[in-house]
Amino acid sequence: MDFYIEDYLPLFMFGALGMLLFSGYPVAFVLGGVGLTFGFVGIYFEVFNFIQFFNLLPRIWGGIAENLVLTAIPMFIFMGTMLERSGVAADLLHCLQVLLRRVPGGLALSVTLMGTIMAATTGIIGASVVMMTLLALPVMVQRSYNTPLATGTIAASGTLGILIPPSIMLVIMADLLARSVGNLFVAAIFPGFMLAAFYMFYILVLCGFKPQLAPPLPDEEGPGSTFGIIAMVLKSFIPPLFLVFLVLGSILFGWATPTEAAGVGGAGAIFLALLKGRLNFTILKDVLERSALTGGMLFGIFLGATCFSYVFRALGGDDLVIGLVESLGLGSWGLLLILMGIVFFLGFFFDWIEITLIVLPVFSPIIAELDFGDHVAPLEVTYWFAILLAVNLQTSFLTPPFGFALFYMKGVAPPEVRIQQIYKGIIPFVILQLLGLGLVMAFPDIALWLPRVLLD
Amino acid sequence: MELLIRVSEGLDRVIVKIGKIAAWAGLALILLTIFDVVTRRFLVLGSTKLQELEWHFHVILFAFCLGYAYLKDAHVRIDLLRENLSERTQWWIEVAGCLLFLLPYCALVVWFGIDFTERSFSNQEISASATGLTHRWIIKSAIPIGFAILALSGIAVLLRKTVELFGPEELRTKVHEIEEAEVEHLVDVVPPELRKPDDGGPR
Repeated sequence: MDFYIEDYLPLFMFGALGMLLFSGYPVAFVLGGVGLTFGFVGIYFEVFNFIQFFNLLPRIWGGIAENLVLTAIPMFIFMGTMLERSGVAADLLHCLQVLLRRVPGGLALSVTLMGTIMAATTGIIGASVVMMTLLALPVMVQRSYNTPLATGTIAASGTLGILIPPSIMLVIMADLLARSVGNLFVAAIFPGFMLAAFYMFYILVLCGFKPQLAPPLPDEEGPGSTFGIIAMVLKSFIPPLFLVFLVLGSILFGWATPTEAAGVGGAGAIFLALLKGRLNFTILKDVLERSALTGGMLFGIFLGATCFSYVFRALGGDDLVIGLVESLGLGSWGLLLILMGIVFFLGFFFDWIEITLIVLPVFSPIIAELDFGDHVAPLEVTYWFAILLAVNLQTSFLTPPFGFALFYMKGVAPPEVRIQQIYKGIIPFVILQLLGLGLVMAFPDIALWLPRVLLD
Repeated sequence: MELLIRVSEGLDRVIVKIGKIAAWAGLALILLTIFDVVTRRFLVLGSTKLQELEWHFHVILFAFCLGYAYLKDAHVRIDLLRENLSERTQWWIEVAGCLLFLLPYCALVVWFGIDFTERSFSNQEISASATGLTHRWIIKSAIPIGFAILALSGIAVLLRKTVELFGPEELRTKVHEIEEAEVEHLVDVVPPELRKPDDGGPR
């Protein structure tokens, strides 16, 4: 067989990307630059034409700009940022703590609940883990909570947001896989709640047996009277919960498209801040600017990834990947496990934004050909795959020694919290994650049942 | 060297201003979406125009904030190895990245983006839908303009790194201070005054 180096350019391209990303130069521009460079390499080998770069523009236009699905993303980012900045999130956590003060591990449970309800944070792992750490960890340390338990709970609950809708990651996955965002949201509900339930069950059992790990809050914490507690619930608990249900419900029951629901969420967050009396020009301006920066960052990677994957394809990357995979001679299950393994490994180094935007376009031809016979109906394979991917990524972010949710946490935790304690605390949660992943794999209906019932 | 700093400061002010103004497109987007949802439910208005206007705002929002995000260092970096490098090496990486990646990439998108917009203009392209918006070229021009702004922000960074690498000590410190003041720590999401609930929260 003849060996032509130009046949393998896509592989070099991938290798170059992998190495250059570690230079610490912004991911968005490395993606664009590597795409560009290999376009020129392709021109040198006469397998690419300069004029082909023009095709980038219609792709950027059709894929990113004129795309009403992605229009939801800036509004979801705004909603999360507004809820955080206006203190709605902090009040919610405090309210949950007071409500659960007599339950074993009440603080830890309230952190998990908060992570589940407030999954609509900015969707950037770093930001949500940091927010949860800043809000909850000092209180837990002060109440002499067992440190590994506290850090494990916060890291696991803080990353739950990428799975539980309305998650920005799911919007992007649906867009890249050409599937309905609403369906994917609905499919993620049970797996997300299942994981949250696992966490809570674990915390309850552990703290039931070993109460010394999680000393309860004193009774004088929060309002003393029943009336005071009811008032607090009405003020801090019901409004954000209502907002999340409004956003999710309107998608679930088909009242609104995800984009419209995002608009409702954004306006609702402004309204909640207004109710709290914390809405003023400074906060609004600040939230808008922060959201714009987050959006600029995210769409910067989107643009770079468009450039990269276009050149990758033009150089024959798709065929190369499919050829390589076929030469492995694995069945669908083997392929699934390999893909999952790759994504898990990538999750040690990259955030979901890079992973989904680089990996999904490359692997989507393979995903389309997966066939699981009676296990999963062919039409539903993509949704199932996306959910598996989401749970897998979340697990990867939590797994020591690399899982970078843990690094973010270490960065803002009080200095007496050691990284070993964080590692120790996360292990039970990683086991729970793997259990959840295995269950969704073995019983696809955990993800696929609800969309079937609700949306057909 | 003084001049380089002044030029980079000038670019910086303009780019950040544009970004901060474009950020308000986010609010416009939300209000517009709400308006669309409400009017569609209660009145029968053609909402194709509104929906197209929604993604127009989305385009404005991301295109004009790319450079702003670079100056505020909001673009994601893989920090794993970077932290172990000396400051000087990091500056060199930034210079190389700007020269080899960012600027050529921007040049390419601007070059073809102008072509793309021109075609739209000369075809008098309008929405594919009969009730959609006209003058598609206006919003299409946001792509080359946005990338041109990104390129300018790359130049501003490049000038600063040049001063840091080759300039005298006092200018170097000055640039460093400017950069420090600019970085928006996106992860620092909770402002200090809100870190504790105000209604008798844990102290």
